[in-house]
Amino acid sequence: MIIVFGIAGFIFLGVKFTWAEEPTRVVFLTWKPNQPEVWDTVIQDFQQKHQDIRIKVQVGPHSSTEYHAIVAQRLKNKDASVDVFFMDVIWPPEFANAGWALNLTSRFPVQEQNKFLPGPITANTYHGKIYGVPCYLGAGLFYYRKDLLKKYHFKPPESWEEMLTQGQVIIQGEDNPGLYIYSAQFKQYEGLVCDMMEFIWSNGGAVVDHKTGKVILDEPAVVNALTFVRDRIIGKAAPRGAINYEEPESLDIFIQGKAVFHRNWPYAWAVANDPKKSKVASKIGVGALPAFSGHSSASTLGGWQFGINRYSRHPEEAWRFIQFMTSHETQKIFALKASLAPTRRSVYQDPEIQKKRAHLKAFLPAFEKARPRPLSPVYPMISQELQRFFSQAIVGRKSDLSEMATAASMKIEKLFKLGAMVQK
Amino acid sequence: MIHRGQNFYLTLLVPVILVLLFFIAGPIGHSFFLSFHRIIIGLPQLKTPFVGLENYQELLNDPVAWHSFWITVVFVGTTTFFELLIGILLALLIHHRFPGRGALRACVLIPWAIPTVVSAQMWRFLFNDAYGVVNYAVFGTEITNYIPWLALPSTALLSIIVADIWKTSSFAALLILAGLQVIPEELYQAARVDGAVAWQRFCHITWPLIRPALLVALLFRTIDAFRVFDLAFVMTQGGPADATNVLQLYGYKKMFVEGWMGYGSAISVCIFIIVLVLAITYVRMVGQRLLEARV
Amino acid sequence: MMKKLVKKLLFVAGILLAAGFSLTPFLWFVLSAFKNQAQITAIPPQWLSSFSMDSFYSAVARYGIIHYLLNSAIVAGSATMVTISLGTLAGYALARLPRQWGQIILMGILACAMFPQISIAGPIWRFLRFMGWLNTYQGLVLPYVALTLPLAVWILALFFREIPEELEASALVDGCTRLGSLMRVILPLSAPGLFTAAILTFIYAWNEFFLALLIMTDPARQTMPVGIALFQGEHTIPWGEIAAASFITTAPLILMVLLFQRRIVTGLSAGAIKG
Repeated sequence: MIIVFGIAGFIFLGVKFTWAEEPTRVVFLTWKPNQPEVWDTVIQDFQQKHQDIRIKVQVGPHSSTEYHAIVAQRLKNKDASVDVFFMDVIWPPEFANAGWALNLTSRFPVQEQNKFLPGPITANTYHGKIYGVPCYLGAGLFYYRKDLLKKYHFKPPESWEEMLTQGQVIIQGEDNPGLYIYSAQFKQYEGLVCDMMEFIWSNGGAVVDHKTGKVILDEPAVVNALTFVRDRIIGKAAPRGAINYEEPESLDIFIQGKAVFHRNWPYAWAVANDPKKSKVASKIGVGALPAFSGHSSASTLGGWQFGINRYSRHPEEAWRFIQFMTSHETQKIFALKASLAPTRRSVYQDPEIQKKRAHLKAFLPAFEKARPRPLSPVYPMISQELQRFFSQAIVGRKSDLSEMATAASMKIEKLFKLGAMVQK
Repeated sequence: MIHRGQNFYLTLLVPVILVLLFFIAGPIGHSFFLSFHRIIIGLPQLKTPFVGLENYQELLNDPVAWHSFWITVVFVGTTTFFELLIGILLALLIHHRFPGRGALRACVLIPWAIPTVVSAQMWRFLFNDAYGVVNYAVFGTEITNYIPWLALPSTALLSIIVADIWKTSSFAALLILAGLQVIPEELYQAARVDGAVAWQRFCHITWPLIRPALLVALLFRTIDAFRVFDLAFVMTQGGPADATNVLQLYGYKKMFVEGWMGYGSAISVCIFIIVLVLAITYVRMVGQRLLEARV
Repeated sequence: MMKKLVKKLLFVAGILLAAGFSLTPFLWFVLSAFKNQAQITAIPPQWLSSFSMDSFYSAVARYGIIHYLLNSAIVAGSATMVTISLGTLAGYALARLPRQWGQIILMGILACAMFPQISIAGPIWRFLRFMGWLNTYQGLVLPYVALTLPLAVWILALFFREIPEELEASALVDGCTRLGSLMRVILPLSAPGLFTAAILTFIYAWNEFFLALLIMTDPARQTMPVGIALFQGEHTIPWGEIAAASFITTAPLILMVLLFQRRIVTGLSAGAIKG
C-alpha cells in the first residue's frame, strides 16, 4: 500500500516538477548555413546556459527569394508557429510595414544600437523604429591577383579604367587564352542589382535623388555607368557568360585562375584561400572596389538580420535567443569558425580576431561605407523592375539606353509612390 | 442492374471527389476569387478591394506578360513537336524484339525518373560556359569558342528546351509504345506478303493506328508544357533579360516575390483557361471515339 | 545481303544513339560525385583522374540524405497506396457508369490536373495549417493524392473498361458481393494497369518539390527533393554532394523501373488506345 502511494507520489511530483519546469519552445526558421556544425554548437551552448528555453530549428532554402516566400507565407497568415527568423538586409521595411516583424525598439535601445556598425542598423530601421538585429554583414569587395599585379608592377587599381588598362597588359603578357580581366555577377537576379548599383554609385549616380526623392535612373551618371558595363565589361573584360553568373560561378572563374580581378562578398576570401578548392590560394589581395574617375568607391550592403514574429507567443524568450546569437562572444565564434563578418564594432577590435582574421580589418572601411539598396516596403517590386532594366541594358542590342531608363524610372517612381501611400 | 448499380458506383466515386474538391477544386475556386481583387501582401493597409476584371485588363496590357506568353508558346510548340518525334523513333526502336530490349527500355526511362530539380541543376552544370561538357563536346578545347548557352537570350530558351526534350521524350515514347503494341502483328505480315516496304508499312498501318496514342501524348504534354516552371527557375531564373520568363515563372514572381496575389492569380487562371481550351480542342479533333474507347 | 546488313547496322546505331541520348548527360553528372571539388569545375572538363568517395560520404554524413530518403519513401509509399485504393474505386465506377456521366466526370477530373501548382499551393497550405497538419506526413500525402488521382483514375478507368461486364455478372451469380467481385475478378485481370498507375504516382510523389518545400520546414520531415535543394548554401553549390545525392535519390527509382518495366509497358499498352 505504502509503496504504491509512494510511487504514485513520486510520479505526481515528477509530473508537477516537469510541468513547472517545462521549457519554452522557440521556433527558429532559418536557411541551411554553410557550416551547420558551428551553428549547432552555438545553439547547444545557448540551451545549456538557458535551461528554460528549447530551440527548434526549421530549415528553408538559402535562396533569398525562396526563403522569403516561405517566411512570408507564415507571417502573412499570422502564423504563430515561427518565433525567430532571418531577414535579408532589404526586407526590414517590407516586414515592418506589413506588421510581420515585431518592433524591437523597447528591447534594443539606441545605446545598444550604437555598438553595431551603422549601415546594418539603418537597414533595420523603419520610421525611426528598429525591427531587426544584424547577425552578420556583407559588402561588395574587390579581389585581385596580387601575384600578377606584383609581376607587372601594378598597384591595385583605383578606377575602372585603370583596372581595364592593367588587365590588358597582364593578359597580353601572360599569354593565357582563357584569362579574363574581371569576373562578377550579372544574372537577372537580386545580385545583379548589387553589382550594378556599385557601378552606378561609383559614378555619382543613384536610383533616387536624396534631396528631391525623384527616381533618377535616366540621368547621365546612371546611363553612362550602364553603357560602360555593356560595352567594356560584358564579353570584353568579363566572359560573355557572366550574364548567367551568380556568386558561385563567378568565383569559380577566379579560383581557377581565369580572372585577374573579381567582385564578391566577404565569404569569397576564405574559399579563394583554401588550397583544396582554389588554384590561387595565398595569391590574392582584397580591397575597395574601383570607381569612375572623380568619384569615390561604393559597395552594396548585404547581410542577414534576426527578426521576431509579431504574432509570436514567446517574444521574451525569442529576444533572449537573439541577444545571445548577436553577442560579442557568438559573433566572434562566427567570425573565427564560419567566416561570417561581424556587425559589432567590438569584435573587430578583439585581439584574437585581429590576429587570426586580420583581413577583417581590411574589410572594415568598405563595411563602414557600404550603402543600402533603396529602402521601401515595396522593395521586392522595385527590385524586379531594376533587375529587368539592368539585364535588358547590359544584354541588349538596343543602342539607346536613355529611353529604357526613362521608362524604368517612371515605373519605379509609381512603385515608390505605392509604398509611400502607406506611410503613417 | 442499372439503378441499384448506379448508386453503388456513385458511392465509390465519393472519396475521390471529396479529396479533389478540398485540395484542388477549392483552391482553384479560391484563385479565381482572388483574381478579382487587388491584393498586395506587403501592404496590408491597402486592404484587398474587389476590382472586377481590372487584373485581367492590366494583364492584357502588360508587355512582360505577352512576352512571357509568346515564350511559353514557343516552348510548348518546340518541345511537344520534338518530344513526339523522338518519342515515335524511340517507340519504334523498342518495339522490335532483340536481346537487351529490356535494358534499353529501362535506359530510356531514366531521364523521366529523375526529379526535375535535379535534372535542371544537371543541365545548368552541363551548359556551363566555362567547364560545361556541352561546350567541350561541340568545341573541344578551344575555350575561346565556348558559347555561354544560358547567358545569351537567343540560346537560353534553346537550352531549356533541350533540357525538357531530354527529360520528357521518354514519357512520350512510353505512350506511343503502348499504341504500337496494340497493332496486330497480322496486319504487318499481310502487308509484307503483299510486298510492302518498311516505309509503306509505316505510312499505311502504323501511322493511322498510333494516331490516337499520339494525340493522348500531345494532350498530356501540352498541359504540362504550358505549366513549365522548375527548369526556368533553376537554370536561368527567367533571364537573361526575361528571355526565359515563362508564364508560370512570371506568375510565381508576381505572387510570391512581389506580393501581387490578385494579379498572380489572374495569370494562373489565364494559364488554366488556355490549357482547358487546348484540351477541349484536342479532344474534339480526335472525336468522340477516343473518350468512348476509354470510358 | 547488303541491304540486310545496312538495316542491321542502322538498327544498332539507333539503339546506341537512344541509349547514349538517355544516359550520357546523367552519367556525366553522376561522375562528379566521384571527383573532388577542383576537378569538377576544371576547364577543360576532366574525366576521372582520381576516384574519391568523399562526396558520397559528405552527402550522407554531413547532409544527412539517408533520413531524407526515408521521408521520401514514407510519403511516396503512402501517397501511392491511397491513390491506388481510391483510384481503383473511382476508376471502376467510371468504367461502369453510363457513358455521358463518365465522360463529364472524367473531363472534370482532368481539369483538376490542369491548374498551375503555384496557385494551388497557398490555399492548400492554409487548409493544412487549419487542420494542424503542417510538417506532418499526412499534410504532404493528402495533397499528393489529390494531384496524382486524375492521371491514376484515367488509367484505371481505361483498364477496367476493357474487362467485360459479364465477368462480374457471373461472379455476382456465384454469390460474390459487388465489392468482392471487384477484388477477386477485376483487379487481378488489370494488374498491368495497377502497376502503371502505381509507378507513375510513386515517381511523381518521390520527385515533387514545390509543395514539399512549402509544407515541410521541419528538417526531420523533409523529403529528398527539398533536401537536395537545401544543399545549396549561401553562395556555394556543392556539385559533388549534389551529384552524389542525385545518384542516391534516382537509384531506387531506376531499380523500380528496371524491375517493373515490362509491366509498365504492357500496362500502358493493354490500356488499348485503340483507334
